[in-house]
Amino acid sequence: MTVDKQTEEKLIALLKQKINRQLLYYLDICARCAICRDACHQYVATKDVHYLPAYRAELIRRIYKKYFTRTGRIIPSLYEGKEITDDLLDELYKVTYACTGCRRCMFYCPFSIDTTWVLSVAKTILIAAGKGSPILTELADAAIEKGKNIDLFKGIMLDILKDTERKLQEKVGDPKATIPVEKEDSNLLYVALSGEHTILPAAIIFHQAKENWTLSLFEASNYGYFLGDTAKAKTIAQRIVDEAKRLKVKEVVVTECGHAHRVFKFFYESWAKEKYPFQVSSILEIIHRYLKEGRINLNSKYIKEPVTYHDPCQIGRNYGVFAEPRDIISQVSADFREMNPQREKNWCCGAGGGVVAQPDLDEFRIKTGELKVKQIRQTGAKIVVSPCENCRLQIETLNEKYNLGIRISSIMDLVAYSLLIPREQS
Amino acid sequence: MDWFSFLVAGVMVYLAVFVFITGMLYQIYRWLSVPKTNVRLGIFPKPKSKTARLLKLAKDSFIFPQAFEIDRKMWFFAILFHFALLAVFIGHLRLIQEFSFLFNILGNKGVERFAFISGGSMGIILTVALLYYFSRRFKSPYKDLSVPEDYLLLILLMLVVTMGNHMRFFGDVRVADYREYVHSLFVFKPAFNLGLSVSLSKYSLVAHVFFANLLFIYFPFSKLVHAIGTFAANLIRSE
Ligand code: SF4
Ligand code: SF4
Repeated sequence: MTVDKQTEEKLIALLKQKINRQLLYYLDICARCAICRDACHQYVATKDVHYLPAYRAELIRRIYKKYFTRTGRIIPSLYEGKEITDDLLDELYKVTYACTGCRRCMFYCPFSIDTTWVLSVAKTILIAAGKGSPILTELADAAIEKGKNIDLFKGIMLDILKDTERKLQEKVGDPKATIPVEKEDSNLLYVALSGEHTILPAAIIFHQAKENWTLSLFEASNYGYFLGDTAKAKTIAQRIVDEAKRLKVKEVVVTECGHAHRVFKFFYESWAKEKYPFQVSSILEIIHRYLKEGRINLNSKYIKEPVTYHDPCQIGRNYGVFAEPRDIISQVSADFREMNPQREKNWCCGAGGGVVAQPDLDEFRIKTGELKVKQIRQTGAKIVVSPCENCRLQIETLNEKYNLGIRISSIMDLVAYSLLIPREQS
Repeated sequence: MDWFSFLVAGVMVYLAVFVFITGMLYQIYRWLSVPKTNVRLGIFPKPKSKTARLLKLAKDSFIFPQAFEIDRKMWFFAILFHFALLAVFIGHLRLIQEFSFLFNILGNKGVERFAFISGGSMGIILTVALLYYFSRRFKSPYKDLSVPEDYLLLILLMLVVTMGNHMRFFGDVRVADYREYVHSLFVFKPAFNLGLSVSLSKYSLVAHVFFANLLFIYFPFSKLVHAIGTFAANLIRSE
């Protein structure tokens, strides 16, 4: 059934607003050669054409052809130009919110077509039609609420932090060690995730490096970005940008969270139409910098079991950090093994792009994680290291469902643990 | 020239050239009149210098090595097809002016032989590649992805190539006659000389030109704009 006239007009007006030059290229030049077919882990695992990257974009292309091109208006059937119907929106929902945004398809496409860029339009349309992912909407709204009522949350957060701080003091053997919050003129603002596991190891590393740092009141993850709602995504990220400006920090450091890397490095400035007065870095780059400057020293090769590294798509292919984590792991591990393929060609874990947060995709992500499982098995590694919360959650699930018998670690944990060994030994 | 040939191999040629050029300009204008997003969409690792970036652009656009890694068969036929297309395009230039350097080296007979072998083999390669393209579209999942435009373009290409092959392998007309026809187009007095008018090859020529005209007319409004769009899109890759 076609959506009603009013909705249709609204959606078309929106689509028109979303058109930019890159998008036009992508919509106009795809040859439907399907070379991207085997680039997508979801297609490879399911053999369902819906998950073929070009097919996902094709759904948007059909609308575009029908409403925005001359030939498409005259002979829509030539391009299977389509009016916006509820069925089309449902199909669009299925292919769009399942996409992990890994952009492996872009890597292999002969024209470098960025399917996710086309799907960001799909998300806009879905949201406007009232069909955005409900769970992602809920999570995004919750983050925005938190931003509005920060004083309320701050009390609870500081209470919890007291506890983390005690653990820090105990671990580093320094009763004066702190986890500073809202400290002005710090060198860096560290943006963690909710939960101690991303705060404590970082605090240990910062303490050992004698860094002048402060912890952000907000978490790095951005469900508005996953949802595809630019306004919400911007609001969520802005909480942190404002905080960084207020505290006059020199650098904002993003924790091991893939999409947050991309949001802060590549999207926010464009959304907000402003330039940052600070630098944005990855915690991986910071740790690597400390090592190079000799501010911290790792306990060399303390891990004897075989270790492998999973490149999170948003940190490798889509952000450009490849060497730093490998350098770090090689220092602490006696047996580091690469996955095949790796780096920019690495397979997606299967749960990025907000997939891990959508319970109705649980079975799907287990199924489509099979390529990752195969890769991990091939290395024979007992420890899988990956600097992205999303990837780690997915690999934990895969570990359980496929009986991989592995342990999963962040880079920060490896480093923090290594820093503590000398103390524990003495 | 009979009236039908005059319409197809005369008037329509001008129309096709006109539509092709204005259509392409319109397409480029359409692209450039829309602002770019300033989100950098590139993927890593990115080339470091400007020259490296241009080199990568050329490599990605002309030999798309990444595609080779995941779909060798398609890559192979795509490369075959596009390079044969380029060769055939160069070959057609002979209809404007004889390649004098070849003529000097090989002599009259030699040039003809060379043209027969190279042109003929390119024609066969194009046919084979098109047959592959075509057969692929009938299998899942490609079938589900394909739209009528894809088949239409393949059919048009196939017809152009087949008619070209027909002239090459079954024709009795020498290149000088075709060249005379092409020259007549340049001076806006389209005509076939006597040799061509009475030859059966005239019909394949008219058909060849007819389908080529259709192809050129549709070109700017089809996915074939990837011929230029690929450079723009591949450049974004390293932004
Ligand atoms: S997205 Fe690229 S690889 Fe996929 S069908 Fe289109 S042109 Fe081919
Ligand atoms: S971005 Fe990744 S998941 Fe999405 S279509 Fe491309 S390859 Fe598939």
